Order: sequence, then structure tokens, then C-alpha cells
Amino acid sequence: MEAISLLPLMTLLQLVFDTLLGFALLWLAWRALASPELFQAIVLFIAFGLLMALAWVRLDAPDVALAEAAIGAGLTGALLLATLARLEVKNRAKSELEKKHEVRVITEKSKHQTFFFLLRMLLFMVVATGLVYAVLTLPENTSGLAMPVLENLESSGVSNPVTAVLLNYRGYDTLLELSVLLLALLGVWSFGGIPKPYRSFPGPVLNMLSRLLIPLLIMVAGYLLWVGAHAPGGAFQGGSVLGAAGVLLLLVGWRLGTRFVGLPLRITLVFGVGIFVSAGVVFILLGRQFLEYPPSFAGVLILLIEAAATLSIGITLAALFLGGRPEFRRHK
Amino acid sequence: MFITMQEFPWAVIIIVLPLSGAMLSFLFPRWVKLLGVLVALSVVAAVVGLGWQVVEQGAQRYAIGGWGAPLGIDLYADGLSLLMLIVTALVCLGVSVYSTGYFNRAYFRRSKANYFWPLWMFLWAALNALFLSSDIFNLYVTLELLGLSAVALVALAGGADALTSAMRYLLVSLLGSLFYLLGVALLYHSFGSLDIVILSQQVEPSPAVWASVGLISIGLLLKTALFPMHFWLPPAHTSAPAPVSALLSALVVKASFYILLRMWLEIFPVGGTALGQLLGLLGSIAILWGGIQALRQTRLKMLIAYSTVAQLGYLFLAFPLGSYIAWKAVLFLLLSHALAKTAMFMAAGNILHFGGHDRIKDFDHVVQYQPLTSAAFALAGASIMGLPPSGGFIGKWLLLEAAIHSGQWWLVIIIIMGGLLAAAYVFKVIGYAFTQSRVSHQTRRVPVHMEWTALVLALAAILLGLAAPWPLALMDIGLPFGEGAAG
Repeated sequence: MEAISLLPLMTLLQLVFDTLLGFALLWLAWRALASPELFQAIVLFIAFGLLMALAWVRLDAPDVALAEAAIGAGLTGALLLATLARLEVKNRAKSELEKKHEVRVITEKSKHQTFFFLLRMLLFMVVATGLVYAVLTLPENTSGLAMPVLENLESSGVSNPVTAVLLNYRGYDTLLELSVLLLALLGVWSFGGIPKPYRSFPGPVLNMLSRLLIPLLIMVAGYLLWVGAHAPGGAFQGGSVLGAAGVLLLLVGWRLGTRFVGLPLRITLVFGVGIFVSAGVVFILLGRQFLEYPPSFAGVLILLIEAAATLSIGITLAALFLGGRPEFRRHK
Repeated sequence: MFITMQEFPWAVIIIVLPLSGAMLSFLFPRWVKLLGVLVALSVVAAVVGLGWQVVEQGAQRYAIGGWGAPLGIDLYADGLSLLMLIVTALVCLGVSVYSTGYFNRAYFRRSKANYFWPLWMFLWAALNALFLSSDIFNLYVTLELLGLSAVALVALAGGADALTSAMRYLLVSLLGSLFYLLGVALLYHSFGSLDIVILSQQVEPSPAVWASVGLISIGLLLKTALFPMHFWLPPAHTSAPAPVSALLSALVVKASFYILLRMWLEIFPVGGTALGQLLGLLGSIAILWGGIQALRQTRLKMLIAYSTVAQLGYLFLAFPLGSYIAWKAVLFLLLSHALAKTAMFMAAGNILHFGGHDRIKDFDHVVQYQPLTSAAFALAGASIMGLPPSGGFIGKWLLLEAAIHSGQWWLVIIIIMGGLLAAAYVFKVIGYAFTQSRVSHQTRRVPVHMEWTALVLALAAILLGLAAPWPLALMDIGLPFGEGAAG
């Protein structure tokens, strides 16, 4: 009797929670965009990422939630803060004259601002109304590709459907995504070396905590990689936790020995995509399709590819945080 | 055990080769130039292999991972994608030969020059993957790869101008991708598939489909820089290094147009509607506006960039017509513009390299000092204007035919006026190339192969017109534009 009477209460509570979550997300997004101060905007953005992860949990997508929390809130936040730190160093170095010039430019712009603001708002309203209407008229009970995904799970080598999609059914997409990450780092490195003025001075807390946290993070990364085969987790989540360990190491002032900065580091960065492409091509030579794993062997192969990808993702993310190409000084 | 030639997966090889090349040239910066040329040659060979397959056996479908759509991702190659791949291979081969001279250690910091090669090969891999994809989400991933590599390449030039325009390009590119992705999500939710063929069979007009038509079109138009969304193009294409400008104008903007073309041809039931008329109208304005702006420019690279804005406008004239001939005409224009514009930007790069500036009025006997470059610019200009027997002429001729056939006379006037404007700005440059400048400049030697590459690509744009029946026949493989009888 009691269970029956509790059911509507639970639904009501969930409804209230979801509504609050939705509004909080909107409010945080708006505040982050409208905030005149960059630091505040970044903090709001990180909070937005955390709530977004909660929203994914509510949508029964724990894999996405993990990725959102680790990458969306965690590492992106760290990257943004690192950028801000460098911007501030730069701004302080700017002469007074340049600052005055900057102020003038801003005041000149403000004349047009109201007009464009109204125009943007109008455009936004029209698009939003159209989208809401379109979403409301969507067919309700579409399962998408859920059925074929589950039906073929046995021959995919893993029992977590998300990993099956990412590493097997649509492994090609993931291969290209990994390339995007590598490409992003290449783009950053093409700008030049690590900006000089940026140096960190770890306090005692950071120093102590990092000693405790870094081994733990590496272990969690390994666990996430392993568990991805049958539960939420996988290369991207594991990789971003590994990346977080790297970021902590960099924060306490650790740097990769110059011996390893050249080819060894580059090999580690390319490893994920490299193994993935090689695995694909080997099967062409064996008379199968590109990236077509034999079902009996698929589980091991996926773990191998994911392990390589985790390592590369982690190192790439940490290298992105460093913000520039580590100099290779063998000849000096 | 081993596979026969008939079923050798050339399509995969075409994607994997530049991808591996990019990684190898990142790993071994010492060998970048050799790797770049080797990869370019082998991709050309692989494209020939795929071309042979497509001509012999018709359109090819390849299930990656052996799953097949809708569960897996399919690659698809018909006449349309094959022609895009061929022109990409030609342009990229030219770019790789040209860049061995352009990214010389004497003029570029070595660390920067080395990064050109992996970035450019990532761009090529993205283009090939894009032209071969049959999956709308996979297309999104290739768009991201393409956009990011293009942005990094623009920023490679260094300096405030290049960095600012690269940043703006990045934001525009991301905005475009997000619009596209939202449209994809709506389509997937409505029909439970991401494969273009399956979607084309199932799609029915509904509010969600119309929303996704709008979102996808706006996203891709932003990336294709159709007027009035062209604002980011001239600064980005101007401030990039010359071979990068060539890649951007010739191929990158065409890639998003290609997706739009596929979507409109196969998925969206919108041919000949008011939306098509709107695109045609914007295209017409782009032709006139781009032409007038090009005429007003004082710097050569800026002029060429605005010429791209104008020439992109032509591509959208097919949407109000929507006929078999119009689509073929537009594809033909696209191919010849890709070749001609590469030649033009390379010629501009040579002139810039030689004289140290690209101010049109200060050209000092360019014809005398760089006869090959001048010839390349003039020939490419002839194709852009649409003089016979160039590729541009055939394309415009077919487009005129389609416009007259459907009785849309306003398009005829636009096409002719666009040609006149193009003639005006090309002759403006050529005129100054003969004159003496009052200011004397210090000059640098331009490697001969940089001049020859420009000339060969310009000649290819002309030859495309002479060999027109061949590409026109290729376009019909797999019937991407429907049956020809109606046209």
C-alpha cells in the first residue's frame, strides 16, 4: 500500500528536481555569457558543466555524464583558467598608452551595441521558438538504433553498448575524433613554445594533495579504461582523468625531462590514432573490412586500442594545458 | 585470403594515407617535404584506383567495420564524390610541390614551416573523408577536422592580422558546425538513422525536418561563406600563407557546399521551393557584391579572396533552377574554379615572394620578371571570367542554358554581369603587371617549380573545358543528379 502511495510523490520530486536543474542550467549559462569579468565567467562555466553532468545522469546517460564532468567541467575549466592567467600576465605588461587606446575602442563600439543586441535577441527568439515547436512535434517513441545496437552486442566484444558504438560500430568516428584532439595540440604547438612568463608556485596544500591525488588519479584512469567494456567508462573518461593527473603534475612545477620531449613525447601523442589506424589496416590485409574485428578477438583489440587512446588523450590534454611546444634542447 | 583488385578498398586508402602522412610528418619533422610529396603522389594513385573502380563497376559502397548502415558507417563513392576527390588530389599535389619551395627555411621559421605539413595532411584527410562519407554524423566529425586544420593553417602565417582572422574563422566554423549538429540530431531522432540513403527513403516533411533543413543549411552556408555570411572569408583567405589560401579558396569552402548539395539532392524535399529561390537570390548578390568589392581592392590577395566570394555565388544559382543541367553546370564551375583559384593564389604568392608586397599599383614589370607566373594568372583569370575554351566557360554556358530553359531571365543577366565584373578585376591586375612602378623594390628569386605549379594548374583549368565531355560523363555515375532525360 505504502509503495503505491509513494510513487506519485517520487515522480513529483523528480519533476521538481528536473525543473530546478533546467532553470539552473539556463541561469548559469546566461550568467556565464553576461558576466563582464572573465574569471567569474569561467567559474560559472565550470559550475554549468557540473550541473550539465547531473542532467546527463537524469537522462540515464552515465557515460556522457562522466565525460561531461571530466572534460566539460574539469579540463576545459583548467584550460580556460590557464588561458586567463596568461592573459593577465600579458595585460599587466601592457603600457598605459595601449590601455587608453583599448578603452577608446570599447567606447566607440558601444554606439552600435544596442542595435546589434536587439537584433541578436530578435534572431535568438525566432530561432528558439522554431526549435521548441520542432522539438515538441517530434515523434515520441523512437528508439533510434537501440535495437540493432543491442542485437549485435554479442559480436562486438564488449557488453557496454556505449563502448560498442564508440569503438566498434562507429569506431571510424572515434578514430577521426582522436585525430581532432591530436590536431588541436598540433595547432597549439604551431604557435610556438611555452609562453615564458607563466610559472606556478605551488603552496604546501597543493604540494601535499598532489602527492596523494596523482597516484589515485592514474589508478582511476586505469579503472575507467578497464571497466568501460561492461559499465560506464572508457578511453575518453579514463584519458581525461589521466589528463587531470598531468595537469596537477604541471601545476606543482614538474616538467618532462628534456630527453623525452622530442620524439618519445610525440610518439606517445600519436600512439592512440596510430594503433587505431594500424588495427584497421591490418584487417584489410587479412581480407576483412577496415576496422572489422573478428568477434572472438574484438574484446582484446578494443581494450588495446582504448589503452593506447587513453594514454594519448591524457598526455595530449596535459600538453594542451601547458599551452605550447616544450622546447627540445639536445644540441645546446 | 587476399583481396582482389576489383574489391580493393581504395576509398579507405584515400583517407588513411594522408592521415598516416600527417602523423609521420609530425613524428619526423626532418622528412616533412619528402613525406608530403610522397603522400601526395600515392593519394593521387589511390584516387586513380578508386576512379577505375567507379568507372568500371559503378558507384561504390563500403561498410566500415563490416556492419553496414544504419548501425555502422558507410563510405560511398559516386561520380560526384569521385570528381571532388580528383580535383582535391590535383590541387593538393600542386600545393605539396609548391610548398616545398614556399616553406623555405630562409623565409619561414623552421619550427613553423614544419608544422605546415602535418596540418595540411590532416586537412586533406578530412576532405577525402568528407567527400566519401555517407553518414551525416560522420560528416560532422570530418567538418570539425577540416575546420580545425584550416584555422591552424591560417594562424600559421603569424602576426596580428592572421591571428585575428584565424580566431574569427574558428568561431564562425564552430558556430556553423553546431548548427549542423543540431540539425543532425533532429533528423536522427525523427528517423532513427544517420545514413544519407536510408534517410532519403524515409524522410517526410514535418516541423522537425524543416527545422533541420534550416539549421543544416545555415550552418553550411556560414562555412561556405555565401553572402551575407562571407564576412570572415576575405581576411582569413588573405592573411594565410599562399598555399593555404589556395587550399581554403579552392577546396575548404567547397567541402561544406558539397554536403549542402548532397543534403538538398538526396534528403531534403525542397528542390525548386521558395528556399531555393532565396539561395539563388543570395548567390546573385554575392556575384555582384563580390565582383564590385574585388574591383575596389588595392591588394592582390584581397582581390582574389573577394573573387572567391563572387564565384561561390554562382554555385547557388542552381538551387532556384534545380534541374539536372543546372546541378551539373554548378559542379563543373566548382571544379574549374578550384583549379583556377589555386593557380591564382599561387601566382599571387609568387608575386608576393618576388617583390615582397602585393599592392597591385606598385607591380613592377611582373610580366618581364615572372613570365610563367603572369601567364598562370592570366589563364586562371580567363577561366574565372568564363572565356572559351576554359572550364569556367563550359560551366557558365551550361548554367546559362539551364536558366534560359527554365525561363528565369534574371539569372541570365546576373551570370553575364558577373563575367564582366570578373573580366574587369582580372584585367586590372594584368594591366599593372606590364607597367613600371615608381617605387623600386628589393626582389627575391622565386623557385622555378613554384612558377610552374601555378602554370600547370591554370592550364588544367583551361584543359578542363577542352575535355569537358569526360567529367560530364563521370557526373552521371550513380546518378547523383537524377535522370538526365528531364533536363
